[in-house]
Amino acid sequence: MKDITLTIDGKVCKGAEGNTILEVARRNDVYIPTLCFLEGLTPIGSCRMCVVEVEKNPKMLTACTTPAQDGMVVHTQTEKLREYRRQMLELIFAGRNHFCMYCSQSGDCELQDLAIEHGMDSVRYPFLYAAFDNDATHRDIQVDHNRCILCLRCIRVCAEKVGTHTLDLQKRGWNATIVADLGRRLGESSTCTTCGACAQVCPTGTITLREFAYRGRRKDCDDAVESVCPLCSVGCRIKAYVRTGSIVRVEGTSVTEPDGGQLCKKGRWTLPRSAERERISVPMIREGSHYREASWEEALELVAENFGKAHQADSSGALVSSLCTDEELALFVSLFKDGLGMERLDTFDGDVLRGFVKGFEPFREQGIRPFTAAHNILNSDCIVNLSADPDEEAPVIASYMRVGTLKNGATLLNLSCRTSPFADITDIDAVCPTPGQSAALVEGLAELVAGLKASGGKALEEGKISVGELAGKAGIPEETVEGILEKLAGSQRPVFVLGGCLSRDPVAVTSAVNLAIASRAFFEDGMGVVPLVVSGNSLGTINTVLAREPWLGREKLDFLYVYSTGLVPEDEESLSAISGTKFVVVHCPFWAQPLVNLADVLLPAPAWFERSGHYCTIEGERRRLNVVVPPKGEIRGLSSILKDLSAGLGVEPGKPKESPCGNLFASEKPPADARMVSLEEVRN
Amino acid sequence: MAFYRAHVLVCKGTGCNASGSSSVFDALGEEIRKRGLDQEVALVETGCHGMCEMGPIVVIYPEGSLYCRVSVDDVPEIVEEHLYKGRLVQRLLYTTPDRKVKVPRYRDIPFYSKQHRIALRNCGYINPDNIEEYIARDGYAALAKALTSMKPEEVLSEVKTSGLRGRGGGGFPTGLKWEFCRKAQGDKKYVICNADEGDPGAFMDRSILEGDPHAIIEGMTLGAYAMGADEGYIYCRAEYPLAIKRLVGAITHAEEFGLIGDNVMDTDFSFHLHIKEGAGAFVCGEETALLASIEGERGMPRPRPPFPANKGLWGKPSNINNVETWANVPNIIRNGGSWYASIGTEKSKGTKVFALTGKVNNTGLVEVPMGTTIRDIVFDMGGGILKDRKFKAVQIGGPSGGCLTEEHLDLPVDYESLTAAGAIMGSGGLVVMDEDTCMVDVAKFFLEFTQRESCGKCVPCREGTKQMLLILEKITSGKGRMEDLKILEDLAIMVKEMSLCGLGQTAPNPVLTTLRYFRDEYETHIRDKKCPAKACSALISYLIDPEKCKKCGLCARNCPVKCISGDRNTPYEIDQEKCIKCGTCLEVCPFQAVFKE
Repeated sequence: MKDITLTIDGKVCKGAEGNTILEVARRNDVYIPTLCFLEGLTPIGSCRMCVVEVEKNPKMLTACTTPAQDGMVVHTQTEKLREYRRQMLELIFAGRNHFCMYCSQSGDCELQDLAIEHGMDSVRYPFLYAAFDNDATHRDIQVDHNRCILCLRCIRVCAEKVGTHTLDLQKRGWNATIVADLGRRLGESSTCTTCGACAQVCPTGTITLREFAYRGRRKDCDDAVESVCPLCSVGCRIKAYVRTGSIVRVEGTSVTEPDGGQLCKKGRWTLPRSAERERISVPMIREGSHYREASWEEALELVAENFGKAHQADSSGALVSSLCTDEELALFVSLFKDGLGMERLDTFDGDVLRGFVKGFEPFREQGIRPFTAAHNILNSDCIVNLSADPDEEAPVIASYMRVGTLKNGATLLNLSCRTSPFADITDIDAVCPTPGQSAALVEGLAELVAGLKASGGKALEEGKISVGELAGKAGIPEETVEGILEKLAGSQRPVFVLGGCLSRDPVAVTSAVNLAIASRAFFEDGMGVVPLVVSGNSLGTINTVLAREPWLGREKLDFLYVYSTGLVPEDEESLSAISGTKFVVVHCPFWAQPLVNLADVLLPAPAWFERSGHYCTIEGERRRLNVVVPPKGEIRGLSSILKDLSAGLGVEPGKPKESPCGNLFASEKPPADARMVSLEEVRN
Repeated sequence: MAFYRAHVLVCKGTGCNASGSSSVFDALGEEIRKRGLDQEVALVETGCHGMCEMGPIVVIYPEGSLYCRVSVDDVPEIVEEHLYKGRLVQRLLYTTPDRKVKVPRYRDIPFYSKQHRIALRNCGYINPDNIEEYIARDGYAALAKALTSMKPEEVLSEVKTSGLRGRGGGGFPTGLKWEFCRKAQGDKKYVICNADEGDPGAFMDRSILEGDPHAIIEGMTLGAYAMGADEGYIYCRAEYPLAIKRLVGAITHAEEFGLIGDNVMDTDFSFHLHIKEGAGAFVCGEETALLASIEGERGMPRPRPPFPANKGLWGKPSNINNVETWANVPNIIRNGGSWYASIGTEKSKGTKVFALTGKVNNTGLVEVPMGTTIRDIVFDMGGGILKDRKFKAVQIGGPSGGCLTEEHLDLPVDYESLTAAGAIMGSGGLVVMDEDTCMVDVAKFFLEFTQRESCGKCVPCREGTKQMLLILEKITSGKGRMEDLKILEDLAIMVKEMSLCGLGQTAPNPVLTTLRYFRDEYETHIRDKKCPAKACSALISYLIDPEKCKKCGLCARNCPVKCISGDRNTPYEIDQEKCIKCGTCLEVCPFQAVFKE
């Protein structure tokens, strides 16, 4: 990148070739007002607030779109510019109905801020007072078109980051309004995923989240803490706004992140709502069908008594949530494994994780990291959906797949026994009648693609399965198989998204990685595979609490210790195993039904927002959580509780290990060294 | 090969078609057959001749006689007299308005004699559906010359020498524009034809597209060769179905003849041409909005820089030119750039097609060398003002242009002199106005159009033109104040400077020029609440002169709101409270007793 130098308002400013004037100005702390511009979205230059004068150029140029050139002399604050900017604001205010008095966004509004900054104390143009729609059809998101300034940020974020392109404009000129789905109201949209990204980027009070309106302006909040969302494997970075001890809003941190700060309907609403849920605030002991309050001493004594007895009889176990932080997981390991030597340790949804771990094992043995950071889907030229339902499992992954396909021109293939979740934009939808046939398809494709790549895409190797045979085995047409082969053989950077249900058969997982190797899906950090593990720290549980072989529900136990964050409902299997156990301790922040009803002792735990720690996410990073609101009352941190418990059990916990998931992110060997694995050998 | 002793050319351009030239064509065919002349006389349908006021037009060769306003009833006489007996049908010949002289030969008619038809050279001569006729008139000879004996740089060089400037309105030197695209980095480039002629009343591009589609194809192929493109798009507005039909046919024929497609004329050069239809948005005539539309997105302009020459269609270097610009290219390559540069003025070379409309006797299309005066166009070729009224102003450039007055009649038509006078060349629309035209109303009319067509992306155009229109509406309904003129002018200047694209940047032009040259009309509307041209309905009254009124009651019977009263003995009177100013009474009165005030 060549360096360039501009003079902005007399100040010498350095920038890089390819920067816009605005980028150079910001780098050098020169202020230029903007309104429609938002870093991370394509600039469009429509509000005209950032106009600047450039010497030797007769036109007024928008700083956000104009490429900076070496030697440019720029003026940003001339009399004329200030006057024109003010006229823009006056025209906006006169054009629609901007009544600040009762707007929830008043005081937190970029339009208002700019008007104040430019001394707009009157509007010289007549107010038009036209009636625009106030769309309250969507349950969670309100769109009041009277306040809209047509900055088009919502459209841009929905198209460029979320990929559904639900929002766009209808009509022309002064009558133009934002619509969903080519002309519907937002609540009637069939493509809106309710992620709330539009509300987050809206500079005015046009798009608001109904639940959080009037609960606190961003500026008024006592604190805005950055943390990580625990609800799915992506672990989006979030910013939680706190006001008088309540979480009044959760947003993505920035549109410049690969995930565009879009969050999803899980994170944006579940997290702040959880701060209002009923808490288990003191330890409770069960008496018949009721719980009575108890002191920590009494509760922990009872726990230790039952735990000790069961442990002696080798009939105890511990079930720990995969939404726990690395630090919490390390503590559990230090007590249960190191201190007690107890083998029965596992997590909810352990089967899904085990399937992936087993499936990846042969490649880890080769020293290869068998997956890549999720946002590399955006850099792919061929995205393959293997039995995944990303909108449910990890909405941001679904967005990556949509954006990768629609914006970045990747091909989208679906190899599954269900129709593609992205039906309208899938290039090849290969739906096999049964999961077994889908697995067979992947297996056969791996062989054929390897041969094609080896011969430079020209010929299929002799002696392998033929296209026709494979089509027959998989139960799909021959042309479909041919099409898939063509796309995979021709791709440079394919990415394979593995759905959670694929892991029921670890061999299918191995087979998928084989296909990735055959397709030469090599990225800098690992194989082009994105496994949709379950929660924010599923990866963290792999080296800690995940059991190698499943034990839950195989026998009736005398004691179970259950740690849940209470944010996601527990699965049927786990609940049924818990209910069959003689003595159950549930350690949870909330009165999470039906889990809490199965307990003999309830211990209060810090909620997700009351502790700090780290998560290992499929974005390939170890992300830090911070305390958003400190815990109150009797709620104690995990380490102190486990310390007392260890004392009660009469054991010394081991030293918690550092960074239990460090090895998940490093590839010892370059991915290109990976070798396909024989599935017969794996099966035996 | 058949040898015909006479050719009968019937204009099937949209204008003449609307006047019934189709039936004339069919009637001629039948009559010629009936008389047994079909082996000696060829009947040809051609594109637009240009003198649309006189349509349906029939030209007969070898004499080159032009017959005006031909109807089906005239057909037997034409065949009998002209084709059979060799005598001209005098009553159908063109008659000059002032000297009442009949002009038998097409090329002697002032409308045509002062033209220099380059872009329009084939319009009216050939059957646009027949590629062989195009080839017979040296069609594709330029392409053959370029592909066999010229390097791409040489083709570009000829265009630069010619001095051709963008005919869509911008007037940017075409050769320079081509050079930007040629120099741009990239292995994929596009050439694009802007056939989204949106100016109300403009039909220059339509006539070329309908009358000579191969000129565009050849021009674009030459451009692709010069710039290194292999694919092209013609973006044609959907309101021109005949043009689209002719283009589709022409492309198919050209492909069959190997003149476009893979390996053009058996060389290594390939060029594929597609057609994309517009969907009714004036703003899509703006080049970046046009690109967005081809890409399947909403047709809204994008900020420049970066320019399409570097980042155009799908991010690839693209060159967009207007229909008329492309149509000039084959001629430039065939005859040489210096030939083209020898026509016109110092800075504006070549010719320009104008759509002459409004209050002139001969409305239609004329192609004149740059430097021709407005007086020549309006009075010589246009035949002077309709009904001998007085010339007031001429609007050049459509809704993006400006008005020029009597003092500018001797202004040579070229880019620089028009801009200096406050107008723009624009795409070539020329609307002539007489004393009955209200200049404030003209400004309002054009602003209504641009306001309606504004895409809504940028604040100055979307909101600014709306506020300007509100002020004009106030003024024309008698509610204006003197302060409004300053607000209007300030708004106009600001919108011009701050808008994102050409639509907003030029929308204030009619307002600014009318304010410059006809400010007194605005002031009369405001101060006296009167419209000097008696056009603004809110400011005029319809009155009946009791002296002239013969008390026939025709006005009262036709009044749609029954506000005229009177009888056989009392002169009729209009109730001013109820009058809706429709003007029907004035139209029907046989004694001119109704007048406007």
